[in-house]
Amino acid sequence: MDPIAFGIVAACLLLAALFVVTSKNLVHAVLWLALTLATTAVLFVLLQAPFLAGIQILLYTGGVITLMLFGVMLTRRHERVFIENETAPRRRVPALLAASVLFGVIASATYRTPGLPAGPGRTVPADEIGRSFLGEHLLAFEVLSVLLLIAMIGAIVLARKADFGKEQSRVIPVRGEKAT
Amino acid sequence: MIFGLPPLTWALIALFAPAAAALVIGVVAPLRKQGKPAAYLAVGVAALSLFAAIALLVRQLGAPGQVLVATTRWLPSSGQTLAEIGVRLDGISVPMLLVVTLVAACVQVFSLGYMADEPPPAFGRYFGYHSLFIFSMNTLVLAPNVLQLFAGWELVGLTSYLLIGFYWQKPSAARAAVKAFWTTKLADMGFVAGVVLLFVATGGFGWTAPSDPKLHMWIGLGLFLAVMGKSAQFPLHVWLPDAMEGPTPVSALLHAATMVAAGVYLIVRANPLFQAVEVRELMTWLGAFTALFAATIAVVQTDIKKVLAYSTCSQLGYMVSALGAGSLMGGYFHLTTHAAFKALLFLGAGSVIHAVHSNELGDMGYLWPKMKVTALTFIVGALALAGVPGLAGFFSKDLILEALYEKQLWGPLGMLMAAAFLTAFYMGRVVFLAFFGKRTKKTERAHESGPTMVAPLILLAAVAASAGYFGKSLAKMYGTAYHFHLGAVGGVATALGLGGLLLAYLVYGKGSVPESSFAFLAPVGRLARSGAVDKLYLFGFQKVALGLAGAIGWFDRYVVDGLINLLGWATIMGGRRVRKLQTGNVSDYVYAVIAGAVVLATWGILR
Amino acid sequence: MSLQPLLLLSAALFCVGIYGVVSRRNAVGILLSVELMMNAVNINLVGFAHYHASHVGQVFAVFSIALTVAEVVVGLALVILLSRARKDIAVDSAEALRG
Repeated sequence: MDPIAFGIVAACLLLAALFVVTSKNLVHAVLWLALTLATTAVLFVLLQAPFLAGIQILLYTGGVITLMLFGVMLTRRHERVFIENETAPRRRVPALLAASVLFGVIASATYRTPGLPAGPGRTVPADEIGRSFLGEHLLAFEVLSVLLLIAMIGAIVLARKADFGKEQSRVIPVRGEKAT
Repeated sequence: MIFGLPPLTWALIALFAPAAAALVIGVVAPLRKQGKPAAYLAVGVAALSLFAAIALLVRQLGAPGQVLVATTRWLPSSGQTLAEIGVRLDGISVPMLLVVTLVAACVQVFSLGYMADEPPPAFGRYFGYHSLFIFSMNTLVLAPNVLQLFAGWELVGLTSYLLIGFYWQKPSAARAAVKAFWTTKLADMGFVAGVVLLFVATGGFGWTAPSDPKLHMWIGLGLFLAVMGKSAQFPLHVWLPDAMEGPTPVSALLHAATMVAAGVYLIVRANPLFQAVEVRELMTWLGAFTALFAATIAVVQTDIKKVLAYSTCSQLGYMVSALGAGSLMGGYFHLTTHAAFKALLFLGAGSVIHAVHSNELGDMGYLWPKMKVTALTFIVGALALAGVPGLAGFFSKDLILEALYEKQLWGPLGMLMAAAFLTAFYMGRVVFLAFFGKRTKKTERAHESGPTMVAPLILLAAVAASAGYFGKSLAKMYGTAYHFHLGAVGGVATALGLGGLLLAYLVYGKGSVPESSFAFLAPVGRLARSGAVDKLYLFGFQKVALGLAGAIGWFDRYVVDGLINLLGWATIMGGRRVRKLQTGNVSDYVYAVIAGAVVLATWGILR
Repeated sequence: MSLQPLLLLSAALFCVGIYGVVSRRNAVGILLSVELMMNAVNINLVGFAHYHASHVGQVFAVFSIALTVAEVVVGLALVILLSRARKDIAVDSAEALRG
């Protein structure tokens, strides 16, 4: 892995991430997140994981970002409040402190861990990953698919609950009451 | 032979027929509510038990020394049997069985007339209790070991409670029932302690004396405490006079003839356990004192049943004293004769009460012409109790006094002699006041009781008159010799008894000696009537026990509860503080997670 | 090049995400920050996979991405629900759990 390429990618990544958490406009923040995720995909390419890079682009940059944007739009009732992605000023200092302390701890742990030389490096072909899903990690794979199904149903139920209730009481008279 | 069944079968019939009757009467409500059918069932079963007892006695007389024990395992635990349950037929249990069933049958027949005015459900209930009592008493009498005896002991205590409180609507009856129960239960603590100690000492519940003299003494004392409660020995006699709140036939059966005698029976039955010197001395002196003490109180009672109740205390004192002096035969003989004539006296008193509707001697009077049979049988009983030669009490009492004389126990002997004089006096007083006193409105309306009441009186009078002559066979069954001979002691006692009767005649019959000439004895009378022992208990209970309970209650309320409350208060306060941690603000939780992660990571690094 | 810079990058990204989670008031903003953190985790997984020349790390990165998607879906549904119920998705106004 080329250190210069890594440096550029890392700088972009961190910068974009910082904009995600500091941007005042929520839509902007989502777009910065998209950039972060795309840069991560580049990083994956550098790490010889092209399959993952593809997934990252497809799922994250495509799916999640679209979802997020929909979320922002759907919850935007009072535009000014919701588009503005304010960070409460009195929270910034403790948040910064906590984040730095945590980073310090992890960084020191990383440096104390002796010698982590670069690996041999190998481009893992997609079919190897696919076989692994249907082979040694079959159970986890199946469980994950069930989880996704549950998440889907749960999201529908949660988001549509209120509407269901209204419609029902509107359409079906309860215990012979007159329909309203 | 008409008694063809094996003896064990007879014993089981005597035991379980009443139990079955009690169960049927208790469970089949229509039978009980109708009254009469339940009564006939109970009487029939009592008669069956009596028949079984007679069969067993005939067999026992045929071979006096034989002992038949049939037991089955009870309380099996990890391979070994803790105790056994069953029947023991020998020269002690069989005569007692006859006494119990005979008196019970008489009393039940008598009750048919006496209780006839009761509403049918109460009438049925009454006979159910009686059947239960016969079962309980037979369990006690036939017990092959102390544990089963204890079970029967408690069962008769229960039936005693139920029957004393039979008129439970009356507050005094309910109180008397509770008092009897509590007093005897208190004493039964001694029984429990004794049984447990016995098991510790011998590993069983038989009545062989343990080798350790100290344990032997404590076992004896514990069991004797129970005897004091059950057989109404001073100072635990207080429940017996109050127990007269029950129906009179109940008093005759339970509180004169059989149940109160269970204590004496226990001493005879488990005699080796009472052989420690200290226990025997206590028995001798306490019995004699009770005999004298109760007799003095009996003299001043105006309630005919109370007179008889204190007389029962007194006579039980005789028995206990005799057993303490080592005369088993004397105690046991007196137990059987006393059962006969005291049951007779109580039933006679019941007949009188039924006629005049009052317990008070003052309401009775010239009943002799109205109730000749009752009067005659009552007089037979009174003379038997007074120790008039030829009647039952004369022989058994003489045996007791002789035994004390032989052992040279002068103190107890003197007290018993005095008691003998007083016994004759108070019985004479009752007879003269009740049957030969002045005419009153109530006595004019009185009339002889019905045949179901008179027949038992006649039967018991015959027994009371003749029981003394069975001493020889009783002794033979018991395994000792018995020859009657009238010695100096017997002569003095007889003279004292006759003197007591004469004095009673002079004071209450002829009236030549006015009652007021005993005015110098008034303080004694007042003391006796005042129920000093009761007051002592009341004081002990109110001041000592309640005070102690109050102190313990204070400690519990303020110290123990205080600690608990403090703990609760601290928890609540702590909870109030700690709940502030839950701000409901997401970022605070995140901070907590970060802090945890930092701590764990740091620990991991520095480790 | 050693693995350590990659790990440091991942840690930095994670801490930025943390900062966002704690400092944001807007629920959608918090979700965005959580995405950052998950991303940091994925980078770690892929980095170690590269270091070991193994496919397992990548497999788990895929699992992680799928989980993230599920999380985002449910999270957004909750945010929508919250906005309906309270007309407001600022998380510090939702403190009904306060003790």
